[in-house]
Amino acid sequence: MPKGEYLLEVRSEEIPARMLEPGVKELATRVFEELMARGIGPREVETGYTPRRLVMILSGLPEREADREEQVMGPPVRAAFAADGAPTPALLGFAKRTGLEPDQLARVKTDKGEYLAATKKIEGRATREVLGEIVPRVLAGISWAKMMRWGSGEGPWVRPVHGVVSLLDGEIVPFDLFGIAAGAETEGHPTLSPEPFRVADVADYKRLLAERNVEVRPAERRRVLHDTMRSRAEALGGTLVDDPALLDKLTAICEIPGVMEGRFGDAFLELPAEVLSTSLRDHQSALTVADAEGGLLPCFLTVMDRPDDPAGRARSGNEWVVAARLADARFFYGEDRKAGLAHRAEQLQRLNFQEKLGSYAIKTERIVALSAFLCDQLGLKAERLHAAEAARLLKVDLATEMVKEFTSLQGVMGGIYAREEGHSEDVWQAVYDQYLPASADDPIPRGKVGQIMGLADRMDTLVGIFGLGLIPTGSKDPFGLRRAAQAVVRIALEGGLPLDLEAVATEAARLYGDRLTRSAEKILDDLRPFLYDRIRYILGLEGFAYDEIEAGLAVGVANLPDLRARVDALHKVREEAAFLSVVLAAKRIANIVKDAAEQPIDESLFVEPAEKDLAAAFEGLRAEVEEAASAGDYERCLRLIAGLAPVLDRFFVEVLVMAEDENVRRNRLALLQAIGKTASRTAKLSEVVVDKAEARAKAG
Amino acid sequence: MQTFQELILKLQEFWAREGCVLQQPLDLEVGAGTMHPDTFLRVLGPEPWRVAYVQPSRRPADGRYGDNPFRLGKHHQFQVILKPSPLDVQRLYVKSLEAIGLDLTKHDLRFEEDNWEAPTLGAWGVGWQVMLDGMEITQFTYFQQAGGLELKPISAEITYGLERLTMFLSLSQSIYDIEWVEGIPYGQVRKQEEYELSKYYFELADVTFLQSQFDGWEAEARRCLEAGLVLPGYECALKCSHSFNVLDARGAVSVTERVGLMKRVRDLAVGCAKAYVESREKQGFPLLTAEAREALGVSVEVASA
Repeated sequence: MPKGEYLLEVRSEEIPARMLEPGVKELATRVFEELMARGIGPREVETGYTPRRLVMILSGLPEREADREEQVMGPPVRAAFAADGAPTPALLGFAKRTGLEPDQLARVKTDKGEYLAATKKIEGRATREVLGEIVPRVLAGISWAKMMRWGSGEGPWVRPVHGVVSLLDGEIVPFDLFGIAAGAETEGHPTLSPEPFRVADVADYKRLLAERNVEVRPAERRRVLHDTMRSRAEALGGTLVDDPALLDKLTAICEIPGVMEGRFGDAFLELPAEVLSTSLRDHQSALTVADAEGGLLPCFLTVMDRPDDPAGRARSGNEWVVAARLADARFFYGEDRKAGLAHRAEQLQRLNFQEKLGSYAIKTERIVALSAFLCDQLGLKAERLHAAEAARLLKVDLATEMVKEFTSLQGVMGGIYAREEGHSEDVWQAVYDQYLPASADDPIPRGKVGQIMGLADRMDTLVGIFGLGLIPTGSKDPFGLRRAAQAVVRIALEGGLPLDLEAVATEAARLYGDRLTRSAEKILDDLRPFLYDRIRYILGLEGFAYDEIEAGLAVGVANLPDLRARVDALHKVREEAAFLSVVLAAKRIANIVKDAAEQPIDESLFVEPAEKDLAAAFEGLRAEVEEAASAGDYERCLRLIAGLAPVLDRFFVEVLVMAEDENVRRNRLALLQAIGKTASRTAKLSEVVVDKAEARAKAG
Repeated sequence: MQTFQELILKLQEFWAREGCVLQQPLDLEVGAGTMHPDTFLRVLGPEPWRVAYVQPSRRPADGRYGDNPFRLGKHHQFQVILKPSPLDVQRLYVKSLEAIGLDLTKHDLRFEEDNWEAPTLGAWGVGWQVMLDGMEITQFTYFQQAGGLELKPISAEITYGLERLTMFLSLSQSIYDIEWVEGIPYGQVRKQEEYELSKYYFELADVTFLQSQFDGWEAEARRCLEAGLVLPGYECALKCSHSFNVLDARGAVSVTERVGLMKRVRDLAVGCAKAYVESREKQGFPLLTAEAREALGVSVEVASA
């Protein structure tokens, strides 16, 4: 009995590391979907890759598609028979086309009346045939990030194709891919086991490749690399400095996971650890080994596409290159220290921040002023001097040799040089941390001064670019403004900085003078929703529900820590039964008072006991809510409001708001309006989504 | 231990056997072997072409007064063009490494993505940097576009960095220590030149003169193209490009000027590319086979024109 096992291997020239994973995923997903759509999906899909091959193994494939029946509609019954009941030419023609006798046709009722129909049997195709059609089409259609042509114009594909293995239960499923015929032959590792060999089936393929220095499972290569590197690092007396992204890359540039261990001269240890590891990572794709004190050992670990290094050539070659690279880095480091930051600061005049927004020297002036403004807003007095000092140094490292060579060291290098030049910890750390957080995993800057720098720099950029009307759209965000805005939100939230960001943006716009083409108001109109989107995202990551965040945003944002406190309070009390009634009441109030003008409450106009009770209960509560809100105790605020639930419910049962007497009606609206306003002190409760069934159950 | 010239000789011998025209270096200053007309112009149009040559390549801004053991203002590239790229081009390249004496069973050879783009030539390609034991020894590119024109057939370009390769094979600590020929180190042949060229490019070159050179060669290139003289026109464009590189090394090109100057060079390159294809077509694409010519519907004019 056939196992229904299909093996596909496409051998090509080296596919770029970054494209392998998405490429093989797309291949497997699309083939799987197409098979499923035909009712012949596999039980299991396995994929693998190396730089030179994409592998897909399908198992548990049925032998063929199911036979199916298709109904072909014929003429309407009224046109099928003549008055005497004899078949008309229309009927006879249809019967002939379908190869059936008139009495074998079925009658089918439709919207348009009764029709004759023929049932046609369609035989299912063999899976082999379907694979032979689907697989080459899907392969050729993979959307690689960058494609090429070769030879006389073959392609486009990611790289030239050299061989295809396509076997279903050991038999070739033939097709042609860019002139290469699918077959049963492949090759092992190109330098270690280059001889071609035939493959019988999946088990055979796996065994023979393993013997020929190829491991097609990336997860297994990654595991071996990681384990070997960790144990080598330990044997060296240190610990491996993990770098998951780099490990992914190393996994994707070898067919067999060999670890290359090398050393560099102790003398290079005088370079800062950040420089050593950046040079090793960027130039040599190498990981480093930390010693017990957090410094680095003079060692590095990277990949080689072979299991061993018998002549020591891989090692001596890598060590030679690393020595040359580190010598370069040492040269840059020496030049920078000789010149000093003050000298580099002059060069910022020639470094453009943005064509219309001027040089980095001019940006520096703005950051100095904006960070002073931020200190004032936050009432930070002690930090003011340090903030000014850090702001002046902030961008200077962009003119250093080291940052020109390794742009990823921007900020870090400035921090290191500032430390060496004797600036205080507050100052050098602020410079060092200024680009944090660069990703979701990064922390925010360590100190208050660093947080101020991170905010001032990014708010200046956001307002400047928005001020030129260059607002990011879709995937286009050349200035990285989304990331900048996200960092602003995180710093303010996690740093607990009660800043009015709109005031900061207005001040940032003012500092640009006449460089901007748009007014501060216009900028805010675009920047506010842009920031709100980041706030929604960040608070969402923190675990708040969508409606909680919307309810919080709907009453405006004085500052971000306050917003979070309000959303958090809502999150905590929303499940309480009394609170649910208040939300329902709030929705009702919002609907009723939607268009009503605001006006004072006149107690003499209350008629019904229920409305008198409500007004009294509310009067007793109002000041307390205000007090709790001012103290930032929003949970208490919400619970106080929830206390109104029984009287509110009674009010809605016993009182008709839309009374005939206009004064009575207006007064009732005024009461509800006031209650609505106080209830919204924390969040717009009518925005909270309530499960209808749950609400009914609780309401009894 | 392999000398600099042995490496050249072995590469020439290898690629000559593969049917390459052994061309000589272009006698003008260029930044890379790609700018040699036997690459830049020959990759255009439908005609097949195989060529190999050494090209001294000048990058004034990379000069280090002969002080830096790894960097040169002028280095040598060994350039190979195979058009159309044969399906076994990668295997041929690996064999060329064996031909220069590498036993690949003892080394780690990898092809890492590295795409090439030359905005001033309106050219780009897809390929790799070839890493041998962690060192980049070759740039391997499938040209996709040149002079702003889509290419068909596709050419494979293989560029070996000769100094780096020699240095690496002997694990020398300095370029200047490698032997050009036995007994004569590279430094004796070239170090003074590196020093003096750095001095000139960084300190002495006359900015006003160079700017007028740039303008002058640009105008001259246009006059040539208008007169239907593609090859001299292209040479003038190369002189323009070199003037730009020297100005850049001299620190005389601001960020905004830079974009404008590069565009002017690019416009010339695009103009030359277009004119070259037209000129070859007029000649009936003489390197095509009769069948290929017929398929394209062109005929050969009198070859002596």
